Amino acid sequence: MNGWILAATLALGGGGAAVLWGVTTGPPARRILAQNLATSAVCPALLLLSQGYGRPSYVDLALLLALLGPVGTLVFARLLSDDLAGERPSAWGLTWTAAGLGLAAVVAACAAAGPGRAMVKLLVIGVLLIAGNVIASRALAGGFRRVGGG
Amino acid sequence: MTRRTDPRPLLRASAELLAWWLALALLWLVFVTSVDTLERIVGAGCAAVGAVLARAGRRAVRWR
Repeated sequence: MNGWILAATLALGGGGAAVLWGVTTGPPARRILAQNLATSAVCPALLLLSQGYGRPSYVDLALLLALLGPVGTLVFARLLSDDLAGERPSAWGLTWTAAGLGLAAVVAACAAAGPGRAMVKLLVIGVLLIAGNVIASRALAGGFRRVGGG
Repeated sequence: MTRRTDPRPLLRASAELLAWWLALALLWLVFVTSVDTLERIVGAGCAAVGAVLARAGRRAVRWR
């Protein structure tokens, strides 16, 4: 057990508990927000675990998750747009907290990796993760009216 | 639409494909674990396929 694994455990434990609680309780708007949070919690945890265990392949999982997670949320936002029309879900405090967690994990991993191709990869993951989650949150909150519905 | 001295459509398509190919090939080289000749060849091929798909997708959205 080192600092990386401890931080990953905290991110996975805290984020996972919040996701489970949100997904299993409350109205659909709250559940869809909670499943969006899953990406924001697991992706930084994978980056931290990659450092903790010294396994670069975990970074590929994080990249895949950062790419596909927000896309999945956008699909939900589109398919459930009628159900969500009445109660636009938004939790900007939570969204920016999750973005901060992702940023902290990426910065720490970058500092450990040092300059090079690995750092560029981590930065791409960070941009995908944070931008993807902010865009997905905005879509859930009804921020893109012109593309909503269908 | 204003009629200016636009370059030919073929030239514009080639430039767009080249731009996509460069960006995708660069991403490939950044993402792979080790850079060697085989990775460069496979990356160039995949980036070429990706460039065609990316242009098709962009045109499907913008429709022009």
